[in-house]
Amino acid sequence: MSGRANSISSIIIVGGGASGVVMAAHLLKSANPDLRVTLIEKRPHFGQGIAYSTLLSAHVLNVSAAGMSAYADDPGNFWRWLQGRGLVDREQTPQTPFYAPRSLYARYLGELLDELEAREQPTGRLRLIHEESLSITPTTSGVEVALANGTSVVAHLAILATGHDEQPAQGHAIRMGSEADTALDADNPVMVLGTGLSMVDAFLALEQRGHTGKIVAVSRRGLLPSPHRKGNPIKLDVADIPLGTQLSYFVGWFRDLIKENQKAGIDWRDVVDGLRPFNQKIWQNWPASAKRRFVEHTKAWWDIHRHRMAPEVYAKVTEAVQSGRIRLVAGRVVGIAPGEAFSVDVQSRHSQLVETFDVARIYDCSGIVRDISTSSNSVVRSLVDRGLGRPDPMRIGLDVSANCEIIAGDGTVSRKILAVGPLTRGTFFEIDAIPDIRVQCARLSKQLLG
Amino acid sequence: MLTKKGKYGLKALVHLAHMPVGQLAFVNDIATGNNIPKKFLDAILGELRNAGFVQSRKGKDGGYRLARPADEIKVGHVVRVLDGPLAPIPCASRTQYQRCEDCNEATCQVRHLMLEVRQAIAEVLDQRSLAEMRDIVIDELPVTVKVQA
Repeated sequence: MSGRANSISSIIIVGGGASGVVMAAHLLKSANPDLRVTLIEKRPHFGQGIAYSTLLSAHVLNVSAAGMSAYADDPGNFWRWLQGRGLVDREQTPQTPFYAPRSLYARYLGELLDELEAREQPTGRLRLIHEESLSITPTTSGVEVALANGTSVVAHLAILATGHDEQPAQGHAIRMGSEADTALDADNPVMVLGTGLSMVDAFLALEQRGHTGKIVAVSRRGLLPSPHRKGNPIKLDVADIPLGTQLSYFVGWFRDLIKENQKAGIDWRDVVDGLRPFNQKIWQNWPASAKRRFVEHTKAWWDIHRHRMAPEVYAKVTEAVQSGRIRLVAGRVVGIAPGEAFSVDVQSRHSQLVETFDVARIYDCSGIVRDISTSSNSVVRSLVDRGLGRPDPMRIGLDVSANCEIIAGDGTVSRKILAVGPLTRGTFFEIDAIPDIRVQCARLSKQLLG
Repeated sequence: MLTKKGKYGLKALVHLAHMPVGQLAFVNDIATGNNIPKKFLDAILGELRNAGFVQSRKGKDGGYRLARPADEIKVGHVVRVLDGPLAPIPCASRTQYQRCEDCNEATCQVRHLMLEVRQAIAEVLDQRSLAEMRDIVIDELPVTVKVQA
């Protein structure tokens, strides 16, 4: 990579949400005085994206503060920021579980970027652009990114950091917080498609708005994510983990591992978390058939154990389930009759019986990437349309190499267009959360700049 | 350490990797061609099938073939399935850890070095595919031996 490192000095990052800011921060650790980093974001604020744009105090991070530093090599960075502003008690240590409001995290990333901007002002190494990117086109000397205002920017290479895809809501359902999400009578019953962490967010938002009506949450399995509990992840080594086997073999091994550890009094969370450092490796070594089966059958189970919520949030949700405010339904929507309100037919997964729910609104919290080639992001879509990029075999993201380079429709690996974050989940699988994204950004920065 | 089971399993897979794509190999041919006891080979192939490395067909024309292209199956994948966690000595494994009766693991230099060896084993075996192992040119071997001597 050294030959390449010498030739690269200008980089455009498309997307200034959390992964874009984390990427910029890692690139700017380089001492190269000729480095030029351009960060482009369409939203009014950098560092927010979809994930951290919520203003509700009830929307807290799903990862404890110690895991949320922007820097892979400085895990205490966010914690010190919190401390410096008196936002955590003096007696608390980074090991104390603390789930900060997401808006606070957006502020942290915003301030981090402000500091970088101030520091780099004399050097001119960082440039921020508030504009929507439309497309990336490779040129003989690098790339050109076309902007919505009719201008364009050029650089040696571009890194896509467009984050979670904003897929349009399904059918009659709407996204919470979208324009269609108008005022609702407090006692109106609503339906939520999905029972995962996005459903929990929707419930918390409804609570905060003073909504008191019943909430029917529907997903294929009707599973609620588990709560965090303070623990110590078990130590595993790559030498212990069966790689490249069929899914059933791996799942059998993992279940046995949990059972053995539980016999020794160890919480299952510590086993699930102990596997985390190897999740990307496990994914990458699986045959395509195992990946497909995992996404279809096993992911729902994995997600509720792996992607957990703050204990306080869990207590609130389970209380609402017990009191009947939230009803979790395992099944699928088989028919919707629209009218003044909606009559929604849901077929139970277990009994196959169809039950009808009359609700005033349907929120789409299913969080499924249906197909990246229909992405609402014009840059991503135009790459696929022109054959410069292609969906991964699962179609959950863009196909990228192990070095984050996007792969064209004809299989050519791009030297000029790269991607980080959730867009790369087809290759890296668990790449939605800061603890994984910061490691990816650190690696990519080293790969590009040495 | 690689057991006989691991070694036989790898030899059987190399045998299958030599077959034209999709063609089945008879268990008897694999056994005689590689000096593997037939009963032992049946058990090994059964485990490899459970893990998804080979497919079998029953009956008179039955046999085994690779379930995936030989360049997708890494040697390390196979060894873990047949022999368990990669470890040069039982005290250097995390999930299959066995304490040595006769030493203090905290101060045992041998164990310490063997942990490093474990990493090296994983690195080599997880990089090499069945196809690469199949294509190893044996002519080069004497040179390596000479260098070591």
